[in-house]
Amino acid sequence: MKAPSFDYVKPDSLDDVLALLAQHGDDARILAGGQTLLATLNMRLSEPELLIDINAVEALKGIEAKDDHLWIGALVRHSQIEDSPVVAQHAPLLMQAAPHVGHRAIRNQGTFGGSIAFADPAAEWPVCTVALDAVFHLAGSQGVRKVPAAEFFLDLYTTEMASDEMLIGCEIPFSPPDTKYAFQELARRHGDYAIVGVAATAQMRGGAFNNARLVFLGMGNTPIRALDVEQLVEGKAFSDDLVSQAKQALVGVLQPSADLYSSANTKMHLAGVLMGRVLKQLAESA
Amino acid sequence: MELLGEQLIGAGRQTVWDALNDPEILARCIPGCEEITRLSENQLQVKLMVKMGPVRSRFAGTLTLQDIKAPESCSLVFEGTGAAGFAKGGSTVALTEEGAQTRLNYAAKASIGGKLGQVGGRLIESSARKMADEFFSAFQAALSGNGAGDNAADSAPGNGELQSGRPEADAPEGASVQPAAAGAGAQPAVAAAPAAAHAQSSRPEGSGWRPELYRVFWFALGVFFTLLVSRWLP
Amino acid sequence: MAKSVQIVTRINGVEGTYQVDPRLHLVDFLREEVELKTSRVGCEQGVCGACTVRLDGEIIRGCLFLAVQADGREIDTIDGISDQGELRELQQSFHDHNAAQCGYCTPGMLLTAAALLREKPQATREQVREYISGNYCRCTGYHSIVDAVCEVLELHRQPSAKSA
Repeated sequence: MKAPSFDYVKPDSLDDVLALLAQHGDDARILAGGQTLLATLNMRLSEPELLIDINAVEALKGIEAKDDHLWIGALVRHSQIEDSPVVAQHAPLLMQAAPHVGHRAIRNQGTFGGSIAFADPAAEWPVCTVALDAVFHLAGSQGVRKVPAAEFFLDLYTTEMASDEMLIGCEIPFSPPDTKYAFQELARRHGDYAIVGVAATAQMRGGAFNNARLVFLGMGNTPIRALDVEQLVEGKAFSDDLVSQAKQALVGVLQPSADLYSSANTKMHLAGVLMGRVLKQLAESA
Repeated sequence: MELLGEQLIGAGRQTVWDALNDPEILARCIPGCEEITRLSENQLQVKLMVKMGPVRSRFAGTLTLQDIKAPESCSLVFEGTGAAGFAKGGSTVALTEEGAQTRLNYAAKASIGGKLGQVGGRLIESSARKMADEFFSAFQAALSGNGAGDNAADSAPGNGELQSGRPEADAPEGASVQPAAAGAGAQPAVAAAPAAAHAQSSRPEGSGWRPELYRVFWFALGVFFTLLVSRWLP
Repeated sequence: MAKSVQIVTRINGVEGTYQVDPRLHLVDFLREEVELKTSRVGCEQGVCGACTVRLDGEIIRGCLFLAVQADGREIDTIDGISDQGELRELQQSFHDHNAAQCGYCTPGMLLTAAALLREKPQATREQVREYISGNYCRCTGYHSIVDAVCEVLELHRQPSAKSA
């Protein structure tokens, strides 16, 4: 179907964008990469009056390594993250996740900020940012406020962002140099929405897991961190036995909903399988 | 999709039962509800605007109560259509007393089709659960006397607004809004009793027998007009 | 009706000024206004890849990009890219392997394959399959397309590669 009729404006400053958001509220939609928004409009699932194209706002672009953190602007494209040597050096977890975001043509347009703000339960960037202790910068009429990723994703498609606020970027603190990263995702076909996925980090010291982080996507309405499993593996070396114990602990952490494609049991099983794989990957990349 | 749940409601069983049968309370509690009108003793017409992620889509549908065992249990059959798809299903609701409170158990089965089913298939249960949670928060708030029409669960402007103040509301075609959303199923049902349907929803303070008087009045008017018109039809 | 917007855009190297309705997709703009019919409208959701074109040299979905967004940008369709000769080896290989039947998916398929050659010159057969899985084909069953792409990859990997 063709998109419904809407007005279009392309402000070139953040202040103008915020003023427009305050003025139009829910009748306006922000156009960043448009890979979700335009598909929604094409299916007539939404009929906003105005599209605010933010692609001219330079302040939202760029990937930069600062003193102690990596900065990723909201308008950075998924493919830029995929190709960036700076990201490869400081946040390789994102590089592992990037190829799972749709297909290359989608990644060339879709934005990091759009994915975070949309907060789809099966999206890759939300779990990665939680695993990396990222902090989001939100701009609103009161100025810029910072929200840690762990506090940002509240419920299904619901984030900490107020309706007159906008995500401008994200800072990812540098991890200790001996940090290892693993990202695994399962979808029926490449590019489909993931059934389940996990972003994992840990410092491997003497072959044992230290400060492990395991964050699951597709298992709930928001990224879910498996704290019980993280505590279980602390200080232990990888073994098949450890993985079995972790799978048992996982049952207490995750309560996935069934959907049209998979039962809750299937999802639980798959989550356990992927968790085993990332634990192995972390151990073997030491 | 199957959904099972239970809620402890802070009110006596009869109060909860009455509230569940009161279109005005339901209108305030159903997330995104724009309009709710009683078509007959056991049938309600509902118009709601679903806001879930990027979706902003209107639905119109009917809710029919069956197997009514007041104030213990009943089953509901619902079906609705909108531009984004259609939904149909049924649920059973059971109320049991727990001291001064009531435990409400529900079991719902639904099938979704059209675009919403196609696109949202993986999220049907979580979205339905979220809407159910919002409904019950608002329901609890409404029953604990927080009744003024604002509810905590949903700040959308359209939510909870009833048909009051809409002079053209008798004509079902005039009454709501989006060309895309008019449920085909709802239209003939509404046309059958236009006047009777309007009355029940237009009094924000409706409780007790006063709305019944209005209902009788409008019903009588409707019968009168129908008779008048039918005499003149070929 | 929304106000139409003026855009200046370079299409296959030719700059032009157009007046477009904001809701017009790039692929519909190319097909209707510019009369380049080689990018196709399939799903309008971004999953089938039939609308794939290049924006400033990178592949995008023409159905998930508005014509108004093309202001000041460069759009290339297979018409221009093919004329440049960049796709000669791929096109020859597609021909040799019978990788085009009705041809509906072929423009998108070729552009995606060209992007693969540039980004993943060491791709395995499995990686080729994954990479082009965003372009649907209803005719060939994909094997011939994958064969064609793999042959060109092989060709490029040979130390003294000379195309046939």
